[in-house]
Amino acid sequence: MSGLWLPRHAAERAGLDRRRFLAAGAGTLAVAALGCGSEGPKSAEGLLRAGERLNERVERALFRHNAMNHAPRRAVNTGLRFPSYFVSPRVPVWNEAARGVWRLEIGGLVRRPARLTLGELTELPRTELRLEHFCVEGWSAVAVRTGVLLHELARRADVSPDARYVDFASFDDDYHESWDIESALHPQTMIVYGQDGRMLDPAYGAPARVYSPVKLGYKNTKYLTRITFLAERNGGYWSDVGYEWYGGV
Amino acid sequence: MAETEKRHHLVVRITHWVNALALAIMVASGLRIFNAYPAFARKGETFCCYPFAGDMIPNWLTFGGWLAGARNWHFATMWLLVVNALVYLGFIYLHGEWRDLVPRRGQVRGVWEMVRFYVGRGKTHPHQGKHNALQRLAYFSLPIVGAASVISGLAIWKPVQLAPLTWALGGFVWARYWHFLAMLGLVALTFGHVFMVFAVDPYSMRAIITGRYNPARSPERRNARPFVHLRGPRVEPSAAPAPAPPSPPPSDQPPPSKPPEGTP
Repeated sequence: MSGLWLPRHAAERAGLDRRRFLAAGAGTLAVAALGCGSEGPKSAEGLLRAGERLNERVERALFRHNAMNHAPRRAVNTGLRFPSYFVSPRVPVWNEAARGVWRLEIGGLVRRPARLTLGELTELPRTELRLEHFCVEGWSAVAVRTGVLLHELARRADVSPDARYVDFASFDDDYHESWDIESALHPQTMIVYGQDGRMLDPAYGAPARVYSPVKLGYKNTKYLTRITFLAERNGGYWSDVGYEWYGGV
Repeated sequence: MAETEKRHHLVVRITHWVNALALAIMVASGLRIFNAYPAFARKGETFCCYPFAGDMIPNWLTFGGWLAGARNWHFATMWLLVVNALVYLGFIYLHGEWRDLVPRRGQVRGVWEMVRFYVGRGKTHPHQGKHNALQRLAYFSLPIVGAASVISGLAIWKPVQLAPLTWALGGFVWARYWHFLAMLGLVALTFGHVFMVFAVDPYSMRAIITGRYNPARSPERRNARPFVHLRGPRVEPSAAPAPAPPSPPPSDQPPPSKPPEGTP
């Protein structure tokens, strides 16, 4: 035991204590490891939900319509290296033969519901923004998004003041996500049909998707079919399995 | 109990252990979140300063089970961490303990002397008050590194709503990197702290639990450096070293009945 790296007299005198030290250290690590890799105690779920509710209040208080996303000028456009993602087993493609022409349905608490074809959508006032995208996983990416501002669509549909939430549904299985209306009407939230100067690729959500730089990626439904203005929130594909419902950035 | 003195106020003891728990949850859940993208580069770019891009953190070091679970823990526990830190800082400010922690004149020399002593280049333990110069440095740094981790955390939580903050930290990618480095700083401080508790002053464990401390067993009185004089002076170094007892004592605490050994 003596003389491992301490002077001999010290090691002799301290040997016993070093052994105890190692035992205590190993014990501490073992206790710590018991809790690790796990989801934590089930009894904490209520606390976590309370935490999420508190966070939503804080996030909504922090939300500003004039807080804008600007991709850093020196950041490279991600282009085709932009990760693509959907929940169906294969890239969802709208089957025109079986389902007829794709239309974006705008309904719910509106006075003038609409069913817009892609052609009609592209004729509406067009907005093009270069935005930094934030994924819940922690990565970011830059793309130029072309589309129609959602508040323009909401104005045309004459949304009722009772509408507090908006649900975005898709033809990517049952993928949908509902939002607070403030985020939906943020001046950078749009229905996107173009990315990096081209029409949207099926891998990125063609024919159209919702895109807002104030929401994390998973809140931005791709393969969009229906926008519904609601009085109550309607959960979402990822929100229902445990991801934060608000998901704002 | 006559030989012990009061060392840590109840508020300090409670916030210490709450902080230990909150920090452990924050680090482990943060590492689980990190594992969803264990790299820093913006997609399609490279990042200068992280050589382990793509390497996952071992699962047993993480907490939360999956990305959403870890995020829920992280974003709930952050309130515990911050509120607890504010209680602690407010308390030591009002109650005066901050005086034991702020750098003093001669702090740099004090740190140098402590390091010299710890590596065996000094015969006697430098004189100290409640804490030695290295401890003061560590305990003063901890809230600063903690604040850095909170601020960089806010910047990556709300890169749009708090865009000026994120911009000031060099953008989202760099803010995320500062957040990671601040975490490493907190982990390093914690490991150094825990190591020194066991290796130099195990008697301080009692002080942070019950509040009481035996000054006769302080590292200065024992002339203790890591693993040396853990049990206090028994014989002078010039005499023959006493043989170690054959079996470990039954408890971690020294028996209170033990008579104080020769005062230096």
